Amino acid sequence: MKMDAINPIVIVAKKEIMDNIRNKWIILVSVLFALLALLASYGGTISGEGWQGLEFTVTIMMGLVQIFISIIGLMLGYAAIIGEIERGSMEALLSLPTRRREILFGKFLGLGTVLTFTILIGFGIAGIVIGINVPDVDYGQYLIFIGASILIGLVFLNIGIFLSCVFQKRSTTMGGAIFVWFLFALIWQMILGVILVFTSSLEEIESTLSVPDWYHVLQLFNPLQTYSTLVSLNISPTMTTPGDITSFFYPSYYSSELMALILIVWIIIFFFLAFWRFKQRDI
Amino acid sequence: MVKRTLVCPNCKNKVTIQGDLGEKIQVICPNCKSKGIFTFPGGKSGLKTTDNSFAIEVRGLTKSFNNFKAVDDVSFNVRTGEIFGFLGPNGAGKTTTIKAMLNLIHANSGEIKINGLDITKKGKEAKKYVGFLPERVAFYNNLTALQNLCFYAKMKNASKEECKALIEEFGLGEAVNKKVGKFSKGMVQRLGMARAVIGNPPILILDEPSGGLDPRGVVLVRDKIREMKNKGTTVFVSSHILSEIQALCNRVGIINRGVLVAEDTVSKLSKRLNLKPKISVELEKMSDGIVKAVKKVDGIEDVQIINKIINVVCGPKKKAKVIVAIEKAGGNIINLHTIEPSLEEVFMKFTEGNQ
Repeated sequence: MKMDAINPIVIVAKKEIMDNIRNKWIILVSVLFALLALLASYGGTISGEGWQGLEFTVTIMMGLVQIFISIIGLMLGYAAIIGEIERGSMEALLSLPTRRREILFGKFLGLGTVLTFTILIGFGIAGIVIGINVPDVDYGQYLIFIGASILIGLVFLNIGIFLSCVFQKRSTTMGGAIFVWFLFALIWQMILGVILVFTSSLEEIESTLSVPDWYHVLQLFNPLQTYSTLVSLNISPTMTTPGDITSFFYPSYYSSELMALILIVWIIIFFFLAFWRFKQRDI
Repeated sequence: MVKRTLVCPNCKNKVTIQGDLGEKIQVICPNCKSKGIFTFPGGKSGLKTTDNSFAIEVRGLTKSFNNFKAVDDVSFNVRTGEIFGFLGPNGAGKTTTIKAMLNLIHANSGEIKINGLDITKKGKEAKKYVGFLPERVAFYNNLTALQNLCFYAKMKNASKEECKALIEEFGLGEAVNKKVGKFSKGMVQRLGMARAVIGNPPILILDEPSGGLDPRGVVLVRDKIREMKNKGTTVFVSSHILSEIQALCNRVGIINRGVLVAEDTVSKLSKRLNLKPKISVELEKMSDGIVKAVKKVDGIEDVQIINKIINVVCGPKKKAKVIVAIEKAGGNIINLHTIEPSLEEVFMKFTEGNQ
């Protein structure tokens, strides 16, 4: 890329970062993440006393992180484009010597940086505190957990940006974002569960601890499931909570690489979908 | 004009100087007489329109929203260095045309060139030549005036110094570090004008520049437009204040219901419409005899009487005859002047049938 193209991207990205630092919510969310991790480590279990190791913290936190990071990603992204259009500042922005893809990429880069740093700071602080209190912690697993959390955050950020390019109003965009969140966080599992109940015999599932193939395949289309699978595959199997529906044996093709790849593909797909909509749009 | 207060490096005396953006002036400290040269920031973008006789070319522009044809086969040229007025009733398609010129909206058909560059194919390059004031001026409300301008300035390779100078020039010096969210409508409009001229672009596109401005602001903007024109800037300005357009513009385009109905100089348009100048004569005393005498003069088209004033529409060579006729009939002339056909009349004629 020529300097000519990098310049506007960097300017837009910087502005997004400064805006979010100014709003102070990056600090708030970082603190929230750190507190969650510390709470999960110190008081999140009935079985242990005092500080628990990182694997344990991750297991407890995975569900919470899914909910929080997806919301934060959507919140960061949903106003990115429609907010400026509704406010009226998009006209001036697009009259500058830039291309639409540069503006969109600058926004993604800026907001992505904000999200990444929020996660790194929050979980980083918690990791250090836990590391000081617990001997022999496995930082490798914890780093994978942080990496996966960043990926899922970026997926939802780009879903948010995509919605921002689709809807005509900020309020309806927010509605869309809420729907997407419910879809992946709740409705998906409910629908798959219902289909499972009607198509398979429960005794068989209970006795073999396995579900039909289509179930595993469909789960790959829910980024939140992909995320939890990626994290689960990388922490000690003994730590997965027994009796949970996610503790069925994973099929052999489920691998960390595949899960990470799927998340990255989601990030790219939603970026291009967003660009496709933004490019055609009348401002 | 911009004001700057400098501190003399020699005796620390404060000196206030005035000048235009980009101007270089010699400063002499009134206290210790030491001399220095000060250059006002900005004013030179280095960008010049290339050797094109047309700064903006619009060919067959058509744009529909759903089934409504907002702009229908509009074509016009804006010559390099001129001020082109773009007129039309509300909803006639002015803003749609302007938005298409910057590729903010996608035309159904047609071709638009800015400085010879196709806006849909070479948009980024073309937009380097343009300063734009949108109809609805908006900024980032959580940022200050200076922070806002600096953001746009960075995209145009202009300096922070230039931003400061422009904010001052548009009378917002005291609000330079105030958040734009706390600005009044008029202040936002002034800042919008400052944003449009950042980097001294060779082409200015202004959509209703006097919207929301107080009379002082209107004058400020008008002076700035003239100043830019004198520097060689091409100005495309849409407005509904016709007197302003008439005072500023070399040529006008009139759009009505999405169709460009006229494009020419005001005087040529009035000639084409057969609009004639009026002669307005104020008398000491009005009498029926005078009116009769005036009506008898050859080539008189219309006579209106308002109290002691008699308005006569006539060709340019009949004015003297009218005066003579009045005096012969015993009229005592106190005052007289001619009224050129106004843009308002031209506009009303061209947009007839539009309520």
